[in-house]
Amino acid sequence: MEIIKTSDLTKNYTLGKVDVKALNGVDSSIEEGEFIAIMGPSGCGKSTFLNMIGMLDTPSSGEIYIDGRDVTEMNSSAMAEYRLKHIGFIFQFFNLFNELTAIENVMFPMMLNKQPNYKERAKELLDLVGLGDRLHHLPSELSGGQQQRVTIARSLANSPKILLADEPTGNLDTRSSVEIIELFRKLNLEQGQTIVMVTHSMEIGEKADRIIHFRDGKVMEG
Amino acid sequence: MSGVFFYARKDAENNKRMFIFITIAIALSTANIIILNGVMDGITDDFLDRTMETTSGHLNIYPNEKDRYIEGLGIKEQKLQGIEGVIAYSPRITAGGALSYKEKSRSVNIFALDPSKENRVTVLLSKIDSGETLKANDRDGILISYRLAEELNAKAGDETTIVFEKGNTRVFKVRGILRTGMAMDTNTVIINFETAAEQLNLNNKASIILIRLSDKALSGQYKDIVSGKLGMQKVKEWKEEVESMWSTIRTYKEIIATINAIGLFAAAVSVGVILYINIIHKQRQIGIMKAIGMKDFQILSVYIIEAAVLGTIGILMGDALGYMGIKYLQAHPFSDPTLGSIAPRLYSYLFYDASLVTMLIVILAAVYPALMAGRMNIIKAIWGN
Repeated sequence: MEIIKTSDLTKNYTLGKVDVKALNGVDSSIEEGEFIAIMGPSGCGKSTFLNMIGMLDTPSSGEIYIDGRDVTEMNSSAMAEYRLKHIGFIFQFFNLFNELTAIENVMFPMMLNKQPNYKERAKELLDLVGLGDRLHHLPSELSGGQQQRVTIARSLANSPKILLADEPTGNLDTRSSVEIIELFRKLNLEQGQTIVMVTHSMEIGEKADRIIHFRDGKVMEG
Repeated sequence: MSGVFFYARKDAENNKRMFIFITIAIALSTANIIILNGVMDGITDDFLDRTMETTSGHLNIYPNEKDRYIEGLGIKEQKLQGIEGVIAYSPRITAGGALSYKEKSRSVNIFALDPSKENRVTVLLSKIDSGETLKANDRDGILISYRLAEELNAKAGDETTIVFEKGNTRVFKVRGILRTGMAMDTNTVIINFETAAEQLNLNNKASIILIRLSDKALSGQYKDIVSGKLGMQKVKEWKEEVESMWSTIRTYKEIIATINAIGLFAAAVSVGVILYINIIHKQRQIGIMKAIGMKDFQILSVYIIEAAVLGTIGILMGDALGYMGIKYLQAHPFSDPTLGSIAPRLYSYLFYDASLVTMLIVILAAVYPALMAGRMNIIKAIWGN
């Protein structure tokens, strides 16, 4: 079943006096439960595409369907609600809340979603990513790999259907990168999560089910 | 809202420097309002109290229109004695004249009164700076105000001469020097009622009758009774007597309000700027909050709640500081050559008003940075472009 579909998606913006076409008519389709890697050179529009399907940014034209719903019609409040409940984000620079401990970072989206037993669930998720013994550590007390695992646990907090990861291993050493990709594969297999991951690394990209190649704001193959 | 409260608490806890600066600014502003208004209330209340206790009864009877004096004083006094609730009265004669001592002479306001009656209505005769007060039946004594005494170099025991309006001249012995803290300190003399009536040829007449009631709150009720029974048209309540002073008091209050507003504005700017800087530093975190599904108004709420929490703590500290400040100034009052000591008053309304106004200003100051945080573009917030 198709969970993400884009149709003739464009995104234009102005950089100084230059008009830039970040996305230039992107048609794509991602099936539920797929583990997708998006690859391409810098500036080809892959992160812009991820932001569009994650509802962090709005397209200049075109349509985005998530789970059969045209999300371009939603207002910002509805988009926020949808992100909270159905989409998990993992960014390159970990982006944890520095003032919250590992468990608090994971609890926070569940508290926003008024989930009961959020503390127990946060513990379970941190156990799942192998950080059951680091619950009360602040981000500054964790390594890069550990911080990224907390981010993954946080992204899973409200059991989203889709995980979007923008260069999740870009800031990690090889060993941590392998661990993170193995974790993605495990989530994909065991929990059926649809994962869309932007990466520069062919080695990482090859671990996915399918690779979508971007160039000059367009999908080349995939 | 539990997530919003949770994050607001954590953010405030982890920004101790911001927390301290904001609470100090709020506390000082609150204390400033409480102390300044307390001092202002002290000045105005003292001023009104002094006016009441020296120059006005609870009711004052003035001559009817076109009359210079109240006629038939004896009958009016008898009628006043018959009114239940009137516990004392004191007729006075006021006139102009000139006071001479050695080679110096000054024009003066003459207050003539019967000390035994006056002492039951006001405390004017107790306001003695040096010497002694005027006693009942002392027809040769005079009290002179302290500024007049300074100008003439006169002191208790000296002999002075008064030239009355009618041209009569009489020698008086200075019994004491008067200091009331009121305008009358400039050029007032007090002499016996009978002596003045004799010199001014005012038999059975008075310029004013001051009345003391069992309760000053009854003045409105008794105004008409006294007016009707005595056949006098012009009976004024104590409130009307001090009304003219209210314009002056209002001006002073406006000055204090301006000073308070400047203090509050400074606190509001501090709160706003500190929150703004905090939000600018946390752009990426705000972007992440939005990315994980926090709505604009929830982010706005985080910073409004933070401001409200810090405001509450700052206001409580300010209330405590204000209380201590007022207590200290009550123990160590300012001294003024005219008014004597000036001490603030401690009224509960000072705390309610200061707390409410400060909280309102703090919340208003937080609105712009909070709105800015709520409306932040996710992409710009996270990636800065």
